[in-house]
Amino acid sequence: MTANNTRTASVHDYKEVLLGITGKDFTLIAASKAAMRGATVLKATDDKTRQLNKHTLMAFSGEAGDTVQFAEYIQANSQLYTMRNETDLLPSAVAHFVRGELASSLRSRKPYNVNLLLGGLDPITHKPALYWIDYLAALAPVPYAAHGYAQYYCLSILDKHHHPDITLVQGIKILNMCTDELKRRMPIDFKGMTVKAVTKDGVIDIEFDDDKIVKSA
Amino acid sequence: MSRRYDSRTTIFSPEGRLYQVEYALEAISHAGTAIGILAQDGIVLAAERKVTSKLLEQDTSAEKLYTVNDNMICAVAGMTADANILINYARQAAQRYLLTYNEDIPCEQLVRRLCDLKQSYTQHGGLRPFGVSFIYAGWDPKRQFQLYQSNPSGNYGGWKATAMGANRASAESLLKQDFKEDCNLKDACGLAVKVLSKTMDSTKLNAEKLEFATVGQTSDGKIYHRLWSADEIKQLLKEHDLAKDETTEDK
Amino acid sequence: MDSLVSRYSRPAYEENEVAFRDEEQQDLELMGAAPPLSLKFAMPPIAQPSSWLRAATDDRSNPDCPIKIAHGTTTLAFRFQGGIIVATDSRATAGNWIASQTVKKVIEINSVLLGTMAGGAADCQYWLAWLGMQCRLHELRHKRRISVAAASKILANLVYNYKGMGLSMGTMCAGVTKEEGPALYYVDSDGTRLAGNLFCVGSGQTFAYGVLDAEYRYDLSDEEAVELGRRSILAATHRDAYSGGFINLYHVKEAGWVKLGFEDTNPIFWKTKLEKGEFTNVTADLN
Repeated sequence: MTANNTRTASVHDYKEVLLGITGKDFTLIAASKAAMRGATVLKATDDKTRQLNKHTLMAFSGEAGDTVQFAEYIQANSQLYTMRNETDLLPSAVAHFVRGELASSLRSRKPYNVNLLLGGLDPITHKPALYWIDYLAALAPVPYAAHGYAQYYCLSILDKHHHPDITLVQGIKILNMCTDELKRRMPIDFKGMTVKAVTKDGVIDIEFDDDKIVKSA
Repeated sequence: MSRRYDSRTTIFSPEGRLYQVEYALEAISHAGTAIGILAQDGIVLAAERKVTSKLLEQDTSAEKLYTVNDNMICAVAGMTADANILINYARQAAQRYLLTYNEDIPCEQLVRRLCDLKQSYTQHGGLRPFGVSFIYAGWDPKRQFQLYQSNPSGNYGGWKATAMGANRASAESLLKQDFKEDCNLKDACGLAVKVLSKTMDSTKLNAEKLEFATVGQTSDGKIYHRLWSADEIKQLLKEHDLAKDETTEDK
Repeated sequence: MDSLVSRYSRPAYEENEVAFRDEEQQDLELMGAAPPLSLKFAMPPIAQPSSWLRAATDDRSNPDCPIKIAHGTTTLAFRFQGGIIVATDSRATAGNWIASQTVKKVIEINSVLLGTMAGGAADCQYWLAWLGMQCRLHELRHKRRISVAAASKILANLVYNYKGMGLSMGTMCAGVTKEEGPALYYVDSDGTRLAGNLFCVGSGQTFAYGVLDAEYRYDLSDEEAVELGRRSILAATHRDAYSGGFINLYHVKEAGWVKLGFEDTNPIFWKTKLEKGEFTNVTADLN
């Protein structure tokens, strides 16, 4: 390693949208569909999520290449644990495992530059769980979360409209308020959202209307 | 005949036996009895203390009962020195899991980690196997209260009630007779002390010769594990009318 | 580069000096009746004021810069059926330092016109006060009140003349006049001037927009509108480290503006959390 090979300030794509909302018996995870490189949208149907086990789903954003590599590395290790122990890791255990892996990567020669949302449902207590993890390996359990510019636009909405005992339908409604605001105020087109929910039956895809046009007041 | 094979840990005899492992098991069958009983609301481990002497420092830690983790304790039969190595290994494994996942290691996983180590000494090395059996009592959120036993071969199994050490066979048959699946922890303690009173040599028991530990749940749902004091064991013996009559002893 | 450019070009304010003033103004000045106007605003006695100012104040590229300009703010204003709601926080920051928690960020230009402050506090204070003066002069000269459009344009032209010289302002002019009805203009130091129904300005703007956009309608009742304005500022003071202190609330009606309050955010936050069950991410145990 040369002396000038110091860690470059991470150049995150703040335009990537990750959102997470917990409710009474579910965790919603949403990620923008646009895969962007520089000024170009390479793909408009990208899925920035990976299912880790039956009750855990991870959404990711950040440095191109790192994101999918890291997510699939975590996915493989979660599945290995499931096979070895004939039981899934709980969402909380996965979250701390991920944090540990990211933290040791951070101190390596070439760290993963990834921001994550990890949503899940405890299969025993049926309590929802959501973890916010950034590329510096800070971990926080939260009732709702966002990464990138979406934080600036959506957290105040969630501060006001989120309640811990909302139903899935209400959760999707709040998610719509968030995406409406992003469409209204963010100067780029993120090509809509992939939306999934972790429920007691596992991870389910949620139909989400991306085509609605939102105009500001 | 066996000369050619029994000095080597890792080589099968023509009859398909591993003599060193069997010798280790034999060593354990002379150790003090230890039993474990799984109740609805907890687990009791009870063990017979072999080394009792007036000269021995009595207040030092238990001889056969150890804490492995916040959610697990174990009883030891066999070579205490070997056991110390394994318990240290188990404690480290449990802490490593806690560090990685921020939760207690599931009981069976910890047992398996230990048994994998034990097994490895029966297959490669040129070292002797660990001369210890364990009875483990633990709790985890998925499988609740659990009782396991493992031996020097690296085999392990889950039990409702089990015994090891000297008189293991008679203890097991007594347990088979008297164990009730819906018993509570208090009943289980009673059964444990009754079984030990019959399998131990002396007719009347005394607290110095026994070690007791329980895993249970407090009224607010917290899991605890606890090594009993001599006074508590005395109280238990008295309740079941098994205590040595101290007044007659004085005379 | 800087010196090269300055050799061949003169600052905009010098070029436009003559064209900008109307005759009446020049007459007044000749009689000594008019105060020296903005275009004589003194510049720092150095070769390249704008690059010097940037070097001395830009704490993003130079954290050790000697002058920390007060930047952080949340201000909002929106038009609705009952007039205009204007709301601001009251925090002034210089770098990481909270310089004040009791700043008046709504400037009462006159009894029907309000201006809001975001950006450099000194710039805003000075030029909005100056705008107040211009508006009064307009009244005296024309015997009628200045329109909101005209007032905001005076400010926009002024800041445009100083463009690139380090002014830092994001302001809104709100007022109600006979001709215009309720009118709202956004003016910033880049020279942008926009008419609109709804604006949030400052480092906390996105947070305020989030709450405001979600429930804004033109036909909001007076009570709903006031509450929405208050709640939007609260949202921003909660999430933006550079906003906080008190919520300053004004309602501009046809008869003029009414000051509704200058309320501490802290009790409002806890009241909102405990009584409405909002801000569920705050998990402090209160017992």
